[in-house]
Amino acid sequence: MSRMMQLAVLILVTSLLGACAPLQPEREVVQRDDLRVDPEIGGFVTVTELLEKRIDMPGGGDLLKIQFAVQAYQDTLMEWAVTWFDAEGMVVPGVGEGYRPARVLPNQTRFFTATAPHEKVVSYQLHLREDREP
Amino acid sequence: MNKWVPVVLCSTLLAACATPTRYIDPAADDGEVTMTMDYRDFERAADAALQDLLSSGAVDNPGGDRYVMAVSRIVNDTMQRIDTDQLVKKIRVGLLRSGKVITTTAVGVDGAEDAMNETARELRNSEEFDQSGVQKKGTLKAPDLSLSGKIIQRNHKVKDEQQVEYYFQLSLTDLQNGLAIWENETPIIKRGSDKGVAW
Repeated sequence: MSRMMQLAVLILVTSLLGACAPLQPEREVVQRDDLRVDPEIGGFVTVTELLEKRIDMPGGGDLLKIQFAVQAYQDTLMEWAVTWFDAEGMVVPGVGEGYRPARVLPNQTRFFTATAPHEKVVSYQLHLREDREP
Repeated sequence: MNKWVPVVLCSTLLAACATPTRYIDPAADDGEVTMTMDYRDFERAADAALQDLLSSGAVDNPGGDRYVMAVSRIVNDTMQRIDTDQLVKKIRVGLLRSGKVITTTAVGVDGAEDAMNETARELRNSEEFDQSGVQKKGTLKAPDLSLSGKIIQRNHKVKDEQQVEYYFQLSLTDLQNGLAIWENETPIIKRGSDKGVAW
């Protein structure tokens, strides 16, 4: 009986200690999308395709290359940029951080390509936004 | 005494109206486009050239080692006084980061880019220096590749507007045989008020 009592006290103490332990806050991490189109131009343009391919290099390595197509329903001035990430999700810097301007005429489909700056790039995020230049 | 009051007041008001100096984030720069070449043009031209160069495979050494590249002459054929390093440095940084190319500063068209390469070797046989730390003979790496190019500007008048065309032309030469193994041209065209000055 005393053995049962000891066990009950042990369970009680463990439960109390467990209740006092600090709660780990839940992280609210949003999954990164490959494609982000700002709502300011989302109504005028559609990304009709977004392809990726690893290009074999003569030295045995390979580089990630993407191609995307944009179709516009009205004359649209937009800017685009690609951010590259390695296997750990860290940003791999390229030459610049700036956005590239592009104009897509009504009912025109334009194709764009971008190549990763390093072989360690495994993923990317393509961002399309409205033209910010005044 | 009283005559200075309006002067001080006007100066204070004018100072308050002046545009404040501020930092610009290149990733979110919505400033006006200039007819002259600004940092955005160099960034775009360098980025386009580098992406094309890397994806072409021209700088991928089948042996696995990094190529050694020397920077040759980059001619500024524009009406502006620009330092072509604004373009070349970005490409050099990108190539170094890619792990495929390293640039030598010991060889250049007008002599070594970093004269310390030779100055450090003049310490050889000097009794004042511990010779174990002095660079030995035959340690400098000769370049495999050479980067050369030209920046061209052309101006046109279209009605009451002017069009300025900039062409960033680059060539990469294999120094073993003198063949250009990669070439690229990035045009940047601007059209704006005829009152703007493009030089």
